[in-house]
Amino acid sequence: MNSQAERGSGERPRIDVPRTSAAGFVALAIVSWIYIVSGDSGLWELFTVETWKEAGDFLRRLVGLETDGTSAFLDAASWKKALRLSVETLAMSVLAAGIAGAAALLTFLPGARNVGFGQSGGARSRVGVAAFFVTRGAFAFTRSVPELVWALLIVFVLSPGVLAAALALAIHNYGILGKLSAEVVENLDPRPARALRAAGAGWGQTLLYALLPQVLPQFITYLLYRWEVIIRTTVVVGFVAAGGLGREFRLNMSFLHYDDVGLLLLCYLFLVVGVDLASAGLRRLAR
Amino acid sequence: MASSNDSAPAIRASEVGKVYGRKEALSRVSFTIHEGETVAVVGPSGAGKTTLLHLLAGIIRPDSGDINLGGRALAGLTPGGELSRLVGVIHQQLDLVPQLSVLQNVLAGRLGRWGLARSALSLAWPHERETAEKALDRVGLADKLYERTSRLSGGEQQRVAIARLLLQDPQVILADEPVAALDPARAADLMGLLAEIAGHSGKTLVSSLHSIDLVRKHFSRLIGLRNGGQLFDLPSADVTGDMMDRLYDLRGIEGVETFQGRDYG
Repeated sequence: MNSQAERGSGERPRIDVPRTSAAGFVALAIVSWIYIVSGDSGLWELFTVETWKEAGDFLRRLVGLETDGTSAFLDAASWKKALRLSVETLAMSVLAAGIAGAAALLTFLPGARNVGFGQSGGARSRVGVAAFFVTRGAFAFTRSVPELVWALLIVFVLSPGVLAAALALAIHNYGILGKLSAEVVENLDPRPARALRAAGAGWGQTLLYALLPQVLPQFITYLLYRWEVIIRTTVVVGFVAAGGLGREFRLNMSFLHYDDVGLLLLCYLFLVVGVDLASAGLRRLAR
Repeated sequence: MASSNDSAPAIRASEVGKVYGRKEALSRVSFTIHEGETVAVVGPSGAGKTTLLHLLAGIIRPDSGDINLGGRALAGLTPGGELSRLVGVIHQQLDLVPQLSVLQNVLAGRLGRWGLARSALSLAWPHERETAEKALDRVGLADKLYERTSRLSGGEQQRVAIARLLLQDPQVILADEPVAALDPARAADLMGLLAEIAGHSGKTLVSSLHSIDLVRKHFSRLIGLRNGGQLFDLPSADVTGDMMDRLYDLRGIEGVETFQGRDYG
């Protein structure tokens, strides 16, 4: 053993990992800079006066300092519209989280390996195993397609609007919530359920008294986290599915109404912060 | 035990064996336990105590031999309601649902008697609340009714488990090292409570445990297991210290090699 190891180290010189990585890093950096400097990367534009002047102009327009007519920030009608759209966006996010949550809650159980394969009470059945693969497949498929793509597909069927956008968000998040909840079930302590069965509880009673009380708090936490992500994604999905702040954002960009864009961004910021705070508060309650 | 009991024995095990893979966890164990007896199952870790208790509870099935409960074959009893009225189990681990209230965990002892609809409704509007209150009062936790179970200490949670057992109201209580996770003072306290409850209602108590003091104090009879076999089955007064030493002696236990056994014995 010992002599073999010595011979092995003699034949193959050992690689000095830190030194090799450092050399590789320096080489990569040099090559990258040569590529950027020699090619048409547009990097030099960053250092021209023109670029900075344009950026300044854009920012001034965005905050409403340079407009034709009254600035959107001082216009009651603009505010009214932005607030209405904010409420609409909030409704969209709640609807999306609600649909995703309800669907996940109804289907996460067969997606748990220990339930499908009958390890947690009940016999292992072909139906259970088949249901496991079908549900897990559905979770994987719905979450691997991004919200934006779902929105593009949905507007082929549904007319663009809040519902279409909410549905696109819901389908993607359903896959995420379903997988997370199923994994919570898989990691559950089996002892409380086993004790209940020993005390004479049937399958449904074990579900009610042992499984759901242990899973639900975690599920609610996940749902609230996803709600935070959903509200941030509403704008992008709104571009495509034409709902909420997203649609108005895109329209104003194309019409070069930058002060309106600025106002919408401000509303959006408040919306995201508000949802984050609400979610944090609700999560504390759920615990 | 020369008891003049004319009714069917609470438990009768004849030639019971259980094999896990190639290991014989229990082989040809036979005994009869009468109603109201308190029996301690003693022996080193791996002797088959938990296997025996799980067999008696119907949680696992024997590979050979028969078990009768109250004159009925255990194999013919359906799990659930019927079986839960004959035997109740309390484990060494905490088997309560941590997120539920103490009240709901105690009421779960009734699930074998309740239908699904009643069980579901009871989560919102507790059914048979007074029975649960009485049971909790008996284990000294009357003030913790609405406490979340996870907030209770280990000893308190074991008391909740006993209160649940009171609601399940089985004829035989099987306890698998119920005090293993507690400090000596709490262990003595809890074992006393369990023995008192069993004695008060004339229930049969079969428990595995390691503390010889507690065994002598609360149990009338000892069954000693070693390597899956029955070493003795005697009234606790007849068990000598020498017998206990032999029971727990590490020499000769499968998979255990000691310095004594190998070199110096």
